[in-house]
Amino acid sequence: MLLSLFNVMRKEFTQTLRDRRMVIQLLVAPVLQLFIFGYAINLDVDRIPTVVCNQDQTRESRDLIQRFFANGTFERKGEVPDPAGAQTALETGDAAVTLIMGRGFAVRSARHGDTAVQVLVDGTDTTRAQVAANAAAQFLQLNGVNAAPRRVPTLIPRILYNQRLSTSMYMLPGVLASLLLNITALMAAMGLVRERETGTLEQVLVTPIRPVAFLAGKCLPYILFGLIDVVSVMLLSSLIFAMPIRGPLVVLALGSFLYIFSTLGFGVLLATLSSTQQQTLLGAFAFILPAALLGGFMSPIDTMPRWVQLLTLLNPMRHFIEIMRMCLLKGAGMGDLVRQLVCLAALGIGLLAISVLRFRKRIT
Amino acid sequence: MRRFVRRTKAIARKEFLHMIRDTRVLYLALGLPVVMLVIFGYAVSLDIEHIPLATVDQDGTREARRLEEALVAGGAFVREADLSSPEKAEALLRRGRVKAILIIPQGYQHALARGAMSGAQLLVDGTDGTVATLALGEAVSIVQSLTLPDAASSRASLSKGASIRVRFNPALRSAYSIVPGVIVMILGMLSSLLTALTVAREWERGSMEQLFATPVSRSQIILGKLIPYAALGFVQTLLILTLGVYMFDVPIEGSLVTLFGCSMLFIISMLGIGLFVSVATKSQMLSVQFAAMLGYMPAMLLSGFLFPIANMPWWLRGLASLFPARYYLAALRGIMLKGNGFVVLAPQILALSGFALAILSLAVAKFRRRLA
Repeated sequence: MLLSLFNVMRKEFTQTLRDRRMVIQLLVAPVLQLFIFGYAINLDVDRIPTVVCNQDQTRESRDLIQRFFANGTFERKGEVPDPAGAQTALETGDAAVTLIMGRGFAVRSARHGDTAVQVLVDGTDTTRAQVAANAAAQFLQLNGVNAAPRRVPTLIPRILYNQRLSTSMYMLPGVLASLLLNITALMAAMGLVRERETGTLEQVLVTPIRPVAFLAGKCLPYILFGLIDVVSVMLLSSLIFAMPIRGPLVVLALGSFLYIFSTLGFGVLLATLSSTQQQTLLGAFAFILPAALLGGFMSPIDTMPRWVQLLTLLNPMRHFIEIMRMCLLKGAGMGDLVRQLVCLAALGIGLLAISVLRFRKRIT
Repeated sequence: MRRFVRRTKAIARKEFLHMIRDTRVLYLALGLPVVMLVIFGYAVSLDIEHIPLATVDQDGTREARRLEEALVAGGAFVREADLSSPEKAEALLRRGRVKAILIIPQGYQHALARGAMSGAQLLVDGTDGTVATLALGEAVSIVQSLTLPDAASSRASLSKGASIRVRFNPALRSAYSIVPGVIVMILGMLSSLLTALTVAREWERGSMEQLFATPVSRSQIILGKLIPYAALGFVQTLLILTLGVYMFDVPIEGSLVTLFGCSMLFIISMLGIGLFVSVATKSQMLSVQFAAMLGYMPAMLLSGFLFPIANMPWWLRGLASLFPARYYLAALRGIMLKGNGFVVLAPQILALSGFALAILSLAVAKFRRRLA
C-alpha cells in the first residue's frame, strides 16, 4: 500500500515536473501574481482627477483652489473656462470631480458669509464618489469657518495592528488564499479528470494499486506544491511588503496545511463529479468565485446579512484568512484560533471522506 | 471567399454541437453569471453596517451617553459590549469579537463645556482595512455633526452657499458601479477560460490530426471555434444586462447598439486570449492557467472596478492599458450611466477593436499545422 502510494506520487512528480511550463505555473506564477497583486491592490482613494472652473479669478478664490488640492485627495487635471466645459469633462471621463467657483465668490464670502462654490462628482464609481463627496464637504466646512466652533466633541482615532492601514497587509492573506485555491481546487482536480479523459485511469486501475492509494498519491504532490508556495509567498511578503509575522510559525503552518487539505477535499469531490476537464474548470470557478467573494477578502463579512454570515462558516477561505490576519498582524496564538482550525479540519475530513466514497463507487 | 465561409461554417457547426451536447458546461456558463450577480447584489455590501463596537465610558455623563448613542443610532455600529476598562475591551478586539472600541475618558463633559480639546478615543481593528477605513470615516462624520446645542448658531460658513452634487448616480447606489464591474469580470473570465480548452482539447485527444487531414485552414479553425463561443457570450451579456436592469434598477442611458457592439468587441478579445493560449500550450491544464493569468486576472484586477487604476504604480498603469478590460469598463459606465454616444467612446472602441484584431492574428500566426 505504502509502496504503491509512493510510486503513484513519483509518477505524478515526474509527469508534472517534466513540463517546464507547468513548473512555472505551479511555483513561479504564484510569486509573480502576489507581486502584481501587492502593488495593484490599493484601496486608498486619492489623486482623484479634478478639473477647475474658476469664474471668479480673485486672489481669494485662487487661494481656496490651491488649498483644495493641498492634501493630495484631488489631483488637478486642468482648467475649463465655463461650467459647460466642466460637464463635458465629467461625461468623457477626463475628470471625476469638477470644482466650480462662481463669479463674485470673494465679494460674497466677505460680505454675506455665503459663497458660490459648486462641486460636481461623477457617481459611476460609488466608492470614489463617496470619498470625493466626503472630502469636499469636509474641506468646505473646515475652510468656511475661520475659527471652527470649539465646543464640538472631537474623536481621536487610533488604529491597532496595522497603524498605517497599509492595504497590502490585510489583503495579502486573501491573495495567498486564492492562489492556493487555484492549485488545490482546480489543478489537482483537472489532473485527476485528465487521467479519466485520456483513459489512463483505467490502465492504472488494472494494476494492483488500490484506489485510495492512487488518490492519495495524486493529491500529496499538490499539498507539497501548495506548502512551497506558502513559504515563498510569506518570504516575499515580509521582504517586499514588510509584512510582520507576530504570531507563532506553528499556527501559520498548521493553518496553511489544514486549508490546503480542506480545499483539496473540494478538488477531489469536484473531480468525481465531472467527466471532462471543461466541466471541472467551470465547476471549480463555481466554487472559487463565491468562496473568494464571501471569504472576507474582497468585502467585509461583518456587513453581510446574518444568514450569509452563517453560510460563510462553510467557506474554508474565511477561516484561513482569519487565521492569517490574526496570527500575522495581531500575534494570535493557537488558543485564539481554535474555532477556525477546527472548522478547517472538519471541512477537510468531511469533504475527503465523501469524495473517497464517491470515487470508489464510481470505479467499481 | 465562398469556400472560406463554407468551411468556417462547418467548423463552427461542429464546435457548436460540442457545446450544446455538454449541457453541464452550458448550465454552468449561464448559471455562473447569475450567481455572481446575486452574490454581489445581495450578499456583498460595501455600505457600512453593523460593525461590532465596544464602549468604555469612564465619564458617565449626559454628553458621554449622547456620543455613544449617536454612534449606534445610524445602524453603522452595533454595541456588543459595555466595559469598565480599556484593557478588557482590547482583549475583545484582539480576539476579533469587536472591530472598534469607543473610549470616553473621565472629564469628557467637563472639558467639552469649557471648550477645551475634548477627545474621546476610537480604537479600530486595522487587520481588515476596508472595515477600518469605512468605520473610521463614518465615526468621524457622525461626531462632526454632533455640535453642542448652543454652538449651533456658529458663524456663517462656506458650506452655506456651497453645494456638492453627484452626477449620473445622485443617490450613490452601489449597484450602479457594481453591475458594470461584474459584467467585465464575468465576461472576461468565462470568455477567456472557455476557449482556452477548445484547441488544446483537440491536441490532447488526437482529433487535431483528423482536422489537419481535411482542407480547412488555420484561420478557418480559429474563426470557426470563435463563433459559437461569441454567440454564447452574446447570450451571457443579454442575461446579465437584463438581470442588472430588472433586479438592480441600473439604467441604460445610452444606445443598446453601442452597448452590444462594445460587449462583442470585448468578448472577442477575451475569446482571442483563450484561443491564443490554447494554440500555444496544447495542454488543457496549462492553457487554463495561462488564460487565467492573461485573461481572467487582468479583467478582475486591472479594469478599475475593484482597485482604482489612478492609484497604481506607473508600470501597473501601463500594464492595465495593454489589456482590454479597462476600456470596456469605461465604455460600459459611459453607455449605461452617462449616456455617452459613439463619438465620446471612440478611443475605447478603437482600443477594443485593435486588441481583438491583434490577438486573433497572433493566435492564427502561432497555430502550426504540424504534429508534435
